[in-house]
Amino acid sequence: MKVMHLKRTTFCGLALLGLAAPAFARPAPAPLFVDDEEAAEEETEEEVDEYLLLEGGDIFTGTGAVLRGADLLTKNGKIEAIGYDFYVPEEAEVMDVRGLRLYPGMVALSASSRITEGSFAPADEIEEPGYDPSLDLGSEGDEWDFDALEDADPFAPGDAATRTTDSYDPFSTFLILTLGAGITTVEQSNSAIKLKRYTIDDIVLREGFQTSLSFGSPDARRGLREDFAEARAYLDAMRLWRENDEEGDEPSKRGVNGAVLSVLEGGTRAKFRADDRDELLAIARLAQEYGFRPIIEGCREGWVVADELGRAGATAVINARDRRWKDDLQVAEGGSSIENAAKLHAAGVQVAIKPLSGSIDLGGIAGRDLLALPIEAAFAVRGGLPEQAALESITIVPARIMGVDHRIGTLEVGKDADVLVTDGDLLHYETFVQYAVVAGELVYDKSEELFYAHIRPREQAAAEEEAGDAGAAPEGEADPEHESGDGDHEDGTDDEG
Amino acid sequence: MILTSLTLGALTGLATPAPEPTSDLLALRVGRAETIANGPIDNAVVLIQDGEIVIVGEDLPIERGIPVLDLPDAVVMPGMINCRSRIGLDSRAGTVSEPQILAADEVYAGSDVYAELLELGVTAVALYPPGRGIMGQAAVLQARGESVDELVVERHAYLAMTMAADRNAKKTIVDALEDVDDYLEDVEKDREKWAKKQKKKDDDEKEPFEPEAPDADVLPLLRLVTGDLRGQFSIRKSADLLHLWDVLAERETIDYDLHVPLRDDIDLFYVAERIGERGLRVICDPEIVAHPGTRRERNLPAELARAGAKIAFVPRSSESVDAHRNWRRDVGRLVAYGLDRQTALRGLTLEPAHAIGMGDRLGSIEAGKRADLLIFDGDPFETTTKLQAVLLGGEVVHGELYQ
Repeated sequence: MKVMHLKRTTFCGLALLGLAAPAFARPAPAPLFVDDEEAAEEETEEEVDEYLLLEGGDIFTGTGAVLRGADLLTKNGKIEAIGYDFYVPEEAEVMDVRGLRLYPGMVALSASSRITEGSFAPADEIEEPGYDPSLDLGSEGDEWDFDALEDADPFAPGDAATRTTDSYDPFSTFLILTLGAGITTVEQSNSAIKLKRYTIDDIVLREGFQTSLSFGSPDARRGLREDFAEARAYLDAMRLWRENDEEGDEPSKRGVNGAVLSVLEGGTRAKFRADDRDELLAIARLAQEYGFRPIIEGCREGWVVADELGRAGATAVINARDRRWKDDLQVAEGGSSIENAAKLHAAGVQVAIKPLSGSIDLGGIAGRDLLALPIEAAFAVRGGLPEQAALESITIVPARIMGVDHRIGTLEVGKDADVLVTDGDLLHYETFVQYAVVAGELVYDKSEELFYAHIRPREQAAAEEEAGDAGAAPEGEADPEHESGDGDHEDGTDDEG
Repeated sequence: MILTSLTLGALTGLATPAPEPTSDLLALRVGRAETIANGPIDNAVVLIQDGEIVIVGEDLPIERGIPVLDLPDAVVMPGMINCRSRIGLDSRAGTVSEPQILAADEVYAGSDVYAELLELGVTAVALYPPGRGIMGQAAVLQARGESVDELVVERHAYLAMTMAADRNAKKTIVDALEDVDDYLEDVEKDREKWAKKQKKKDDDEKEPFEPEAPDADVLPLLRLVTGDLRGQFSIRKSADLLHLWDVLAERETIDYDLHVPLRDDIDLFYVAERIGERGLRVICDPEIVAHPGTRRERNLPAELARAGAKIAFVPRSSESVDAHRNWRRDVGRLVAYGLDRQTALRGLTLEPAHAIGMGDRLGSIEAGKRADLLIFDGDPFETTTKLQAVLLGGEVVHGELYQ
């Protein structure tokens, strides 16, 4: 198997194409061997299409369809073709993924900022001579920017996205770990962030897709109902005014809650945090009354009122391992159930699954953070959720929540080429992501990164299998490629330098 | 012209006591000269006049009458330059972000630390102002005398700034650059007004256009944008650099260097090639660091140099005299671990000279440069080698050369 080094720039990529040419079935065209760097640069500056072919894998598209031993071709970061025997441009980079499975990249909701900012070494470790943080006035600090807080419009979500883009670290160790866990897009403070490596360009897919509403206390319910009523009245008045050829004064927006208005107009989706049966019912009724489709996070007693939620067109963001005791004073059923996801799904509720912690944590109870997202979905399968729905709960459903399902969440022609290559069922505990491709670029290779390279290395396993089949293989030439399996070339520079 | 005045006279002469200097000329005959500019020259002769190097070459003939220092076993190299330090200044100086602040104003002439550095072979040191964001302008010191005026040879060496993958850090730089744009726009408007007025006037009434002076805090950035003043950005990780390039975008006229403190877990190798492509100068300490999450050691300066970056070294902790004492040895360790030797020597001399904007006067042994020279009894990177003498502007300021 030949996997090419990660590309940093187009121009660099071309040079590498030249290096890796022997891996191609057909000889590469002559211009790829241009020695003069200047010339190479000039040529590539005129947009050269970049192709990547994932050859011969079992493609689990995430739409329900599975194509065995099929090819997937990406062009400039988008999926160009999926299937058998289609035309492949000869300059395409080829990855042999026979015997492996392809899945859409997973989508994680409410991920912590650590994913895109964190590094192993704390940023403020070094003492800068002449700089004394204790003399700092505070307004310059990262955490308490009071001016910014005051200036910030709570309904202007752009601010949060700017914060993410301005601090995005495409080299973060945690980012690599997240990609290694199979997550290619995360939600961070109301923005959909694509986990790109080596670049800080175009990482935000969408910002401000949801409005958090509170429906917990009686006061909050009353207030919110009033807001919805006012917003509805305003929209009705507006429609009437438009129907009457805009005669008279335009209806005033005064007093109308902008966040609620945008929910009713369909600009954003309303998100509630609720677990309690009664509260869930109230949300379902509000949603049906005003005609919007709520996102309900938590939803631990959702299985009790699944029909209601289904009728309201709700999307539930749940965790299959979350626990809640039944309120003994309630006659109705209650408490958490491992069947929650299954029952919600059966009632037509879209189910998204998120881990208990949105961070990557080296402390606390193991296996509850982002690194175990598919395992969380597997717990829902244990409770009766169909496997297809479980796959959707960590791919297309969260993508729909963020309103980016036209770009990510399934493997379909025209969508972003965010592809995982695994050595087994994505939901199985033994499965590792072998490669992760984001926007058509290989961003994670298990055998090249430090973290899991030594656990069941694939080359070795394949060699052993082969040795078993052939009876006795000669010992010396066990596997010439394995020497790179220890992660020595993580950055890929060692070979090129 | 100088060549013609040289004769074959003193070729065979032993190191005789130097005769009375005639026209402030001095010839150095050494076993080897590390010129930096043109590589090493064996059996080199360096002719110095009025504190400046006049000529350097192999076995040049020396005219009779010119005093000769004959040191057949010695190695001469340019004085080392520390391009980023706060030695001798207050270590708790504050956090302000004001570009007009000058480190030169902080210099305390009573400190004998600069004389100590000179004895260790550091002939120039650049001091940067404290703070974050846009910290202010660095000053270059040479221990030529007692007073501040004698010490400070350059008050506007470079503009020290910090950049991080962080909204505030980016905003500071963006806002400052926008202020410059606003100023330039205003000047352009004034110029148009002036041009209109001039048309109406008679020839003898015409006035030259005088743009309004920029504010004190805009001026340094204006000089930065026009390429008149170097910039020096401190970063801590690869991501910071991408965000810096995001901020600078298409402002190609800005000349800047990067300052990166090397520490374990630093991920700078990710951008080594991009730094190399741009031919940027990286100011770093001579440190071998661990690859993130491991104890595997990496020689980042060597990797950066191979990728095409220019390397300027600062002592491992630029705040202590001892660090300067070990400086050569630390860099020598990188050489032992694969750094190119000439790159290492450049990193102590010519590259820092460029980083402080004095590359045309200091940092190498070639005609026209100041004779700030170090004379060793062997290879400068060898631990047993002793620094025999230091010349500052052609004058022996430390050590004994006349036996």
